[in-house]
Amino acid sequence: MTTLSLRAVPNGRVDMTGVLPETLAGRRADDIAKQIIHLAGNPMMLGDLFEVDVDETDMLVIRTDSDRLDCLGKGMSTGSVRIEGPAGHYAAQGMRGGELDIHGDAGDGAANGMMGGLLRIRGNAGDWLGAALIGDRTGMAGGVVAVEGNAGDRLGDRMRRGLILVRGQAGDACGARLLAGTLVVAGGCGTLPGSGLRRGSLILGRSPEAIPLSFNDSGRVDLSYLGLLHRHAESFLPGLLPASTQAHRYMGDLAFGGKGEILVLA
Amino acid sequence: MIINGVYIDDTYAEAFGMKATRIVITADNLTWAKHAANAAFGFATSVIACGCEAGIERELSPEETPDGRPGVAGLLFAVSTKELAKQLERRVGQCVLTCPTTAVFAGCEGEESLPLGKNLRYFGDGWQMSKLIAGRRYWRIPVMDGEFLAEETTGLMRSVGGGNFLVLARSRSRALAACEAAVDAILRVPGAIAPFPGGVVRSGSKVGSKYKALPASTNDAFCPTLRGVAKTELSPGVDAVLEIVIDAVTDADMRVAMKAGMDAVCGIGAAGGIVRLSAGNYGGKLGQFHYRLREILA
Repeated sequence: MTTLSLRAVPNGRVDMTGVLPETLAGRRADDIAKQIIHLAGNPMMLGDLFEVDVDETDMLVIRTDSDRLDCLGKGMSTGSVRIEGPAGHYAAQGMRGGELDIHGDAGDGAANGMMGGLLRIRGNAGDWLGAALIGDRTGMAGGVVAVEGNAGDRLGDRMRRGLILVRGQAGDACGARLLAGTLVVAGGCGTLPGSGLRRGSLILGRSPEAIPLSFNDSGRVDLSYLGLLHRHAESFLPGLLPASTQAHRYMGDLAFGGKGEILVLA
Repeated sequence: MIINGVYIDDTYAEAFGMKATRIVITADNLTWAKHAANAAFGFATSVIACGCEAGIERELSPEETPDGRPGVAGLLFAVSTKELAKQLERRVGQCVLTCPTTAVFAGCEGEESLPLGKNLRYFGDGWQMSKLIAGRRYWRIPVMDGEFLAEETTGLMRSVGGGNFLVLARSRSRALAACEAAVDAILRVPGAIAPFPGGVVRSGSKVGSKYKALPASTNDAFCPTLRGVAKTELSPGVDAVLEIVIDAVTDADMRVAMKAGMDAVCGIGAAGGIVRLSAGNYGGKLGQFHYRLREILA
């Protein structure tokens, strides 16, 4: 479909809102170049920052060596976007469908308020991945996020629904205030995992340094649900989850109803 | 028409439109999946008094099941959506939920859906957990061996029930051997089951009875013991008749299954003591589907 190649590192943060497969489809290169984006809050044309090439493929490719492109895939509902390089903050914010594939790191607030689709991050993700939009009461409400590297602090904060898979490690307060949904972190996490967790599952490949005191130990359990999840996760991050259905279960957060769980697979 | 010495009656099987669903039962091993399935699909030979007709369609390898464990696919047929939903919930609730290590999943899609774990989840007494995976909702219900995992709904299919053929043989043992071969062939057809014990029926019925309370009674025209006293359909040399009843997901599946079964019987042929193939019908007024034996075998 379209390839956008960043001409030079911008001298401020760029808001890429509206640069989506659904908005660019069927348009000529000169028309696309006139699309308005914002650099440091000031409107400017897409063509001023990017070289625009239109081809026969049905994918939007954005080539960048700067991490200042924010809101990539924001509100996206269909199609495929590949980011060749790092993404800025708020990638896949409010995303409803389609696939956003970031071949690099992602900044903070990725997948905030995401409702559907697939976000792949081949590098590391910043803080607040899958959390709520600023001012919202609930975080990610659907879709799948697959991170090959590590994730920052407050991963999945207030997440409502959906699946987040992280092959590496997560920072502190992973799954904090989780309302529902499933969060899988294969490489372990920092302090206070699941703090304020109401429902939902925080699945850890490695035992954390400490389970919060407001979780109670349910012991080792055999959950056929893990077999189902294993098969589903294989299509996004092969080898992330073991085929075993055994886990050590901690129920909590008892200060917030106690209907959630931390499952430690190791 | 005569095939391998077996005379094929110029008649048809009369079958009915039914509502059906397929479910997948998995367990830690095939033995326990079959324990659950045999219990759930037991006492499901005829809609007349069982509420539904059901049976194991086929065994599934771990690669074919949603949770990567061995399992079985089973089909349930009933005369109405309401009755099918009732039977499904009762049978899964009493026979699958109760069976160690099992889980249950939808085995088909449909324009409409039937509750599977949707109401059974309340057995969890508030401790049940919902999981939405790839757009499908599952319920995790805590039980004493861990969790019972049940998909929320399964699909509803419009299907065909009551396809049949009669095997007329020189003796009961010859009729039974031919029917065993036929059932083996039918159960290899995807989308078809033979719901009676071993897939074979000995008590073929006719509509009506001398007793007012009974809607159906023994098919005296095919009973060898009544030759000479009742009007008979048995030709000379026929000393036993057995029937095979088939339920199938589609009209095409029914034709394939009937052909597979009758081919197996004809393969045994006159040398194996088979005299005729016939079929049961009600004059063509009750069932929407008519399966002419000669047309299927042509």
